[in-house]
Amino acid sequence: MSASIKEFMKPLESSGKRLYGDLSKSFKRYLKRTRFKVGLAITVVILFLALVGPWIVPYPDEGEGYVPPEASQREKQPPSLKFLFGTDTRGRDLFSRVILGARSAVLQITTVISLSLVIGLVVGILAAYFRGVVETVLNYLVELFISIPAVIVALVLRLALGPGLLTIITSLVITWWSWYARVTYVYARSIMEMDYVTLARLSGLSPVKIMTRHVMRNVLTPVLVQAVTDMGSVLLEASTINFLGLGLPLNSPEWGVIMFEGLGVLEIAPWISAYPGLFLLITALGFSLVGDTLREEMDPRLRRRWRLWF
Amino acid sequence: MPDNNIIVLLKDVVAGYQTTGRGWRSLFKHVNVVLRNVNLRVYDGERVAIIGESGSGKTTLLKVILGLLKPVKGSVEVLGKEIYKLPRRERVNVLKQVGYVPQDPYKALNPKLRVRTILSEPLESTKANLEEIEERVREVAKMVQLSDKILDKYPSELSGGMMQRVLIARSIIHDPEILILDEPTSALDVSIQAQIIELINNIHKKLELAILTVTHDLGVAQYLSDRAVILYKGEVIEEGHTDDIIAKPKHEYTNLLIASYKASI
Amino acid sequence: MVLAVKAKDLRVGYMDEEENILWAVKGVSFEVKQGEVFCLVGESGCGKSTIGNTIIGILPPYAVTEGELYVFNKPVVVGNLRDYTGIRGRVVSYVPQNPGTSLNPYQTIGTQLYYVLNSVYGWDKKKSLEVAKKYLSLVELDPESVIDYYPHELSGGMQQRAAIAIALSTGAKILVADEPTSALDAHLRLQLIKLLMKLRDTESLTLILITHDLVSTGKICDTIAVVYSGKIIEKCSGSNVIIEPLHPYTQMLADAVPLLGIKRPLKSIPGEPPKPGEEIAGCVFAPRCPLVFEKCVEAPPSFNVYNGEVACWRYVNIARQ
Repeated sequence: MSASIKEFMKPLESSGKRLYGDLSKSFKRYLKRTRFKVGLAITVVILFLALVGPWIVPYPDEGEGYVPPEASQREKQPPSLKFLFGTDTRGRDLFSRVILGARSAVLQITTVISLSLVIGLVVGILAAYFRGVVETVLNYLVELFISIPAVIVALVLRLALGPGLLTIITSLVITWWSWYARVTYVYARSIMEMDYVTLARLSGLSPVKIMTRHVMRNVLTPVLVQAVTDMGSVLLEASTINFLGLGLPLNSPEWGVIMFEGLGVLEIAPWISAYPGLFLLITALGFSLVGDTLREEMDPRLRRRWRLWF
Repeated sequence: MPDNNIIVLLKDVVAGYQTTGRGWRSLFKHVNVVLRNVNLRVYDGERVAIIGESGSGKTTLLKVILGLLKPVKGSVEVLGKEIYKLPRRERVNVLKQVGYVPQDPYKALNPKLRVRTILSEPLESTKANLEEIEERVREVAKMVQLSDKILDKYPSELSGGMMQRVLIARSIIHDPEILILDEPTSALDVSIQAQIIELINNIHKKLELAILTVTHDLGVAQYLSDRAVILYKGEVIEEGHTDDIIAKPKHEYTNLLIASYKASI
Repeated sequence: MVLAVKAKDLRVGYMDEEENILWAVKGVSFEVKQGEVFCLVGESGCGKSTIGNTIIGILPPYAVTEGELYVFNKPVVVGNLRDYTGIRGRVVSYVPQNPGTSLNPYQTIGTQLYYVLNSVYGWDKKKSLEVAKKYLSLVELDPESVIDYYPHELSGGMQQRAAIAIALSTGAKILVADEPTSALDAHLRLQLIKLLMKLRDTESLTLILITHDLVSTGKICDTIAVVYSGKIIEKCSGSNVIIEPLHPYTQMLADAVPLLGIKRPLKSIPGEPPKPGEEIAGCVFAPRCPLVFEKCVEAPPSFNVYNGEVACWRYVNIARQ
């Protein structure tokens, strides 16, 4: 009997060693559930504010941007009972503006993401289905648009179209669609290799039917998850563009715009930029938490391992 | 007895895949030849097996027969028509008379569709109305011994054996002239393999169609074919009645296959 | 005489999110002598791979165990405690099913062997490569060329041999091979089995083979354990399992495999193997058994019959107590 085997005939030693069965997983699981709950709570609150904003804010007109005549006497006032977040540079109630900003944020995000998704899905699926020249051309376009920063596009569009919702949405969609197109293309390629697509072809199904029934349905889930996870980033990018004055015009109830207005008076009236900034961060965080959790749920491999241990 | 109708006819087929050569050769199109001078015929009502291991070219041969890969040389006739000389629409029409059961059930069933939709798909381009389609779906489900309850399920709820049956049902629902099966039993457990082999033979008797099985398993070939063709490195090295080949192999490689089958895990 | 592996009423389950346990292995006991070839035979989902994983020590963290498992008399599983220090990768090594995916595609075979030898023995690159060449020639691969090859440059059979070489280089005395030949072509299978047999003799290895083919295992295995739904329903010597399968399930398995040249009708077993983790009251095979009778509602214990053991009530009268 070799030495190595003799060594292993010693009985199991006492519990100094790490024992797998006994770790407290419940704490970690609790953390994970809380994370999702927090994210969900934030998202729900923001959605709620977006929906009912105009009816619950104390000064709806000021929130929209209207400057009442007496406002010039109450410019840049710190938070008080009358004006919960204080007043902005023109004397309007900051609270109303920020709450209405939620509506603007949700509107921008949903429009941008839905439009980009639609375009991206179509392009990705077409490229994967038709291959050849179509594939090369579309992929080239995707690579081209992915590398354009949204800010530059916004700059150009601002000059061409002037400020407004159309500008900001267009500039974001022009760059974001390419991300979804790329993700779609990758998944769609692997789906085209599947035998059920071959079978559908042999059965004489039309290309449109194959693309919708087989490719689209199976590509949708991962791409949607990507979209949800992106919500936070889209918000931040939109706010940045607005902050730079390249999107929505001044006086709009939009967090980026308000922050810009408060920039010049940052030292004497920090609340003007601080409150919208805070809301921005919290909203982006909320979306991100929800998106991350969804992504973990969708991935079957991750689910088994992380569920109990993280 | 098979009559003189030839369902599938391959004459001197040479086929392969396009690759780019290395270095300066990348300027020229280069074909990596996988099949050399393959001749094959399948008569109406016959059971034929193509026996080959990985690398023998059987996957390529399947693609050629199914109209998915145009051969470099030679002709491919299905039901009397040269499919690669036809415009795409007509080719698809000819191939609709072919039933195909792919190898991997996990890749051959769309996970987002219910079994009913999967089964009725081949009938969508026909003029049948919804009731007729539903009736036919139930008919084939019964033929493959699947209960009606399966029709509403998704592929993820089915076992390997059930998935294979769904695939077989789908392949016969449009009443094809020939059924082509790619490794019909390799993904299955031993106890179910026998069931599926029995099922395929029953379908052959009942529907009187031709059966072409591509497999590496001599045992399966023995039970699913009367005539067999042995494929090695892209060439047909032996052909004849299956029982004869197994009892009296002529080629060395066939001998090797038989010996390995008898002795292996 | 030392028992390489000993299992006593071993149960292994997996816990899911809701803390339900799905038992894949429901109480198995067996002994593997040193130098023996032991086969675990069963269909998919029966738990044989789980048993293999438990011996090697690669159960996931959410696995739950009960019972006992000893490797060379060292307890590695006691209740829900598992301790494989010094065993995993040192005494027991593993040859996985699919050679293509078990070798690191970014490292040459030589590098992979080096990492193993370095972590086991602490040798430097030069010495490791020398020893690596020895192992490669042991598995009948040409050491000089293969050592610099990447896995994708080798054929399937060669990849499997390389995986075996890596498993051996740990100095392991027990080799667990999970369906080592199912990913290979027929003529390669024969070669691989011959190789394993040769290694067993020259290196005095204990081989544990996990497979689904009953008929072929009979020829090379010393002991066969037939696994069905997490239980060992028959245990006997290799040659006996074909001549005289005892359990109805084993009989049907033997009947269902096509034999070349003899075209007897294939008998198929109705129904499907139970899903992994499915709980069946009474005898696990009762729902599909053609010889089922009233006593089968109780789970049968293992009876010693002739040269083997079988868990079937049909044998209660001739069992030796």
